[in-house]
Amino acid sequence: MIQLFHVSKYYEGRLALSDVNLHIQKGEFVLLMGASGAGKTTLLKLLFGTERPDEGQILVQTRNVARLAPSEVPYLRRTMGFVFQDFRLLPKKSVFDNVAMPLLVQGISHHDIRKKVVDTLKAVGVEHRKESRPAMLSAGEQQRVCIARAVVTGPIVLLADEPTGNMDPQLAGEIIELFKVINARGTTVVIATHNRQVVDQVKRRVVILNQGKIISDDGVGR
Amino acid sequence: MKRFTYLIKEAFANIRLNQTTTIVAVATTAFTMACFGVFLLLYLNLRGLTTSLQDDIKVVVYLADGVSAQALADLQARIKGDHEVAGLSYVSKEQALAEFREQFPSEGYLLQGLGENPLPASLLVTMAHPSRSSEAVRRWAERLKAMPGVAQVQYNRDWIESVGGIVRYLEWVAIAVGTILAAASVTIIGSTTRLTLYARRQEIEIMRLIGATGTFIRIPYLIEGAILGALGGALSLSLLKLGFELLKLRLGPQSHLLGSGVTFTFFPGQVSLLIVMTGLLLGSVGSLVSLLAFERSRS
Repeated sequence: MIQLFHVSKYYEGRLALSDVNLHIQKGEFVLLMGASGAGKTTLLKLLFGTERPDEGQILVQTRNVARLAPSEVPYLRRTMGFVFQDFRLLPKKSVFDNVAMPLLVQGISHHDIRKKVVDTLKAVGVEHRKESRPAMLSAGEQQRVCIARAVVTGPIVLLADEPTGNMDPQLAGEIIELFKVINARGTTVVIATHNRQVVDQVKRRVVILNQGKIISDDGVGR
Repeated sequence: MKRFTYLIKEAFANIRLNQTTTIVAVATTAFTMACFGVFLLLYLNLRGLTTSLQDDIKVVVYLADGVSAQALADLQARIKGDHEVAGLSYVSKEQALAEFREQFPSEGYLLQGLGENPLPASLLVTMAHPSRSSEAVRRWAERLKAMPGVAQVQYNRDWIESVGGIVRYLEWVAIAVGTILAAASVTIIGSTTRLTLYARRQEIEIMRLIGATGTFIRIPYLIEGAILGALGGALSLSLLKLGFELLKLRLGPQSHLLGSGVTFTFFPGQVSLLIVMTGLLLGSVGSLVSLLAFERSRS
């Protein structure tokens, strides 16, 4: 599903990732752990095609992300969902329109968009807020909308960067439960976090990064 | 269909986002296009005038006194045979005198002291359509002068050539002014798009992250530029029409060009449409230039 071969990444000469090898199978739930600056976010960015590796190859399904032409990147992203720590919702659009957007860019019919968006908002528990603007929602609700937007297209991989950052433990727990449900439906989930609570709650494969290197992987290929 | 509706809605949302800038952009584009429109209006009217004058061109071939009937018949046959000639009529000395008396009744005394009729017989030649340019007439007239029995060849060459010269000069001025003003319009609309892009840069980034292609992101901005350009073009037409009507009022109902029978006219429908379409095109180009610059700065 996801394979990284000897991947390195530098930012202005500073090493962000060093000779990373990682294989993630279809349907896995993987937690990327590590302190700030360990390389977790960089690894997610490389998988999502927002950054390119300086060395090595990255395969996501059959696509070599490292060699992807810029015009092909949108099509890679349509097979993935991304949950951001800062939500990145369109402020002037309603919750419904935010979640509908990935379907709209893919040219899905009006009828199917309506059904999928309503079903997904129900699944993440914010259907009653579908007409609201993001600014009117709590942090937890905004994150649920962000998750809904990431999964509404039925992606094969869901990436999340610190999805419980700045959340109280109860709210973080609820968000992690959502990811577990999504994973149980067959979506491969990769979460970058430094929150131990997430690890304790998920009890799945944990990959630990330190200064751009994988120093521990407790469940390779599980 | 929903996708198309979304793209149109986004274009109008962009316009609403920067209302003041939009109004300034449309007004400035309208003004620059109106400046060009003045040249175009003048050019088209003068070109119409030269075409009309060329259509009306008559060459008078004055015959030498004492030319024999046979020589006259030969000359007429020769002229009629030329492909440059559409028609020919003979004016005898007597007819010329009668016409002079009819046209200048108070000047008849001028001819009284001369005894015999001093006016020459002539052939009035109408040129064929492809040969009505002043250059073609000049070449033909030069050739004719060398023929036996021909005393002089006259036509309103200087007049046509001077108007033709102005038209050619105006063509160059219109091209130069048009290029500068087109560049100004592109820059003005491009700046408006740049402001919109800057205001919506975070949204654009989010659209990229959710899998929107570059084309999907660009289209609303191109539509926005096209709308601004078309509005600018339409407004410039309105300004020109207003100015034109005011000028006509000032000149009176018989607003003839340079004393000719040709009246001063506004742009025909196709040219008006072309002006609006040019605005639309310039607006789209302005937006495209800004989009490419924006994408380069963020890659």
